[in-house]
Amino acid sequence: MPALSKQSPVAVVGVGHTRYGKLPEYDAYALGLWALTEALADAGLKFDDIDGLIVNRIPDYQRFCEIAGLDPNYVSITPGQGRFSGICIETAAALIRDGLARTIALVYGNNGRSGGERYGGAADTYGSGGGGQWFPYGMSSPGAFHALMARRHMELYGTSPDHLGAVAKVIRAHAALNPAAVMRAPFTLADYHASRFICEPLHLLDYCLINDGGVTLILTSGERARDLAQPPVYLRGYGMATALAGSSFPPDDFWRAPMGKAAAASFATAGIRHADVSTLMIYDNFTPTVLFSLEGFGYCAPGESGPFAAAGHLALGAHYPTNTSGGHLSESYMQGWALNVEAVRQVRGACGERQVKDCAFAHYMAAAPVCTSIIYGREPS
Amino acid sequence: MRPLPDIAGADAPFWQALRRREVSVQRCAACGTYRFPAARTCPHCRSERSEWTAVEPTGAIETWCVFHRAYFDGLPVPYTVIQVRLDCGVRLFSNPVDVETNALRIGLPVEAGFDDITPEVTLLKFKPRKDVA
Repeated sequence: MPALSKQSPVAVVGVGHTRYGKLPEYDAYALGLWALTEALADAGLKFDDIDGLIVNRIPDYQRFCEIAGLDPNYVSITPGQGRFSGICIETAAALIRDGLARTIALVYGNNGRSGGERYGGAADTYGSGGGGQWFPYGMSSPGAFHALMARRHMELYGTSPDHLGAVAKVIRAHAALNPAAVMRAPFTLADYHASRFICEPLHLLDYCLINDGGVTLILTSGERARDLAQPPVYLRGYGMATALAGSSFPPDDFWRAPMGKAAAASFATAGIRHADVSTLMIYDNFTPTVLFSLEGFGYCAPGESGPFAAAGHLALGAHYPTNTSGGHLSESYMQGWALNVEAVRQVRGACGERQVKDCAFAHYMAAAPVCTSIIYGREPS
Repeated sequence: MRPLPDIAGADAPFWQALRRREVSVQRCAACGTYRFPAARTCPHCRSERSEWTAVEPTGAIETWCVFHRAYFDGLPVPYTVIQVRLDCGVRLFSNPVDVETNALRIGLPVEAGFDDITPEVTLLKFKPRKDVA
């Protein structure tokens, strides 16, 4: 198969996911296979059409292929960190353009809820080589890392608990419109303030969920995409940048430098401006990450994200409806994957009650030591 | 029991220095950059030559948070974790002493406070400096 040119479009042609919640009868392999089966049906493809496979958070690619009966030409495996959803999608696009595979399935399975996954304490592996170094001082958990960043943002810019609460509240309001979401009951700002602190300044409602589930995206060339069951959703632009040196500690700039680089690359390729984007899918492991992302990916100036969120710009019907599925905070903790599914469905126009009107472009972004930025569009160019 | 550090590992010189009421970190013998925890090479110039060096036990607060959920036996909540940047450039997580959490602020000058938690283990904590405003 000849390699495609750098300008050749790549499209998402199938998306699928499991139910979300507590699914103790499924392990990560079974969750991944369930999602893959759904995505194939969505695309109108068969197992034998898959010639590239990247698994994420599933323990072993060989075992997964045994279970699924797959012999892809290209295969890879990636660690269960949320930053890897964007990395996998961007890598798949490059592989398709380079001709290493024609149709790639990205398969994610997460049984963290039933598996008793813990994100703080002795089993905490967040960060660079795990955080065990600082356990004697009680420092542990990704939540605490983000609480440290949130406090610094508050001190520097006057960001307030009300601003964080506004993020949590609007994303829950969106989840209320999504039958697949785990947490759908809307709450008020007063409810937010009444929820208990986990790591101050962060409340329980600032934290993502922990639940079981699986997600699959299927990507192929734009040329092949036109013959499949769904309207293709094109990867119009993507970029990636890192801040890994010294990353045991929160970055001084809230990851603004790598976010800026990733955003610039994705917008340049897409050939659009921020104002052209119809909906934002922001990696919301914790509410402050949404604020840092709005600044770093260029939707508001440094320090202005709190008032920006509180002014209502992230709500359905406003300029930048954000995490219309409910995100990690309220839909499902699928580590970026389900947000990419939502981006695809919004561009397809398949989101029912929570559909963004005339959704031409959806922007997925993740702020972490590896920052990724993906712009999805309805048209190939 | 509360979590204890590995005082016999690669950071042993750091823990031994705390017993002497000193703060000691690795210093690159080629470019002079300080680093902690211990690593074989300097992330700035990649030299393998280094020495453990006593540094000024002073720095400044960068941020903080308050744990309300208990993750460790022996560490009752609530407790405060601070992020400190030593004047030599090394960053640490620690706990504050002799200061209320609501008096913390970014840039607050701090100095080492040595906390003997067992006959073998001293933790490096930080208190506000009295000698600077």
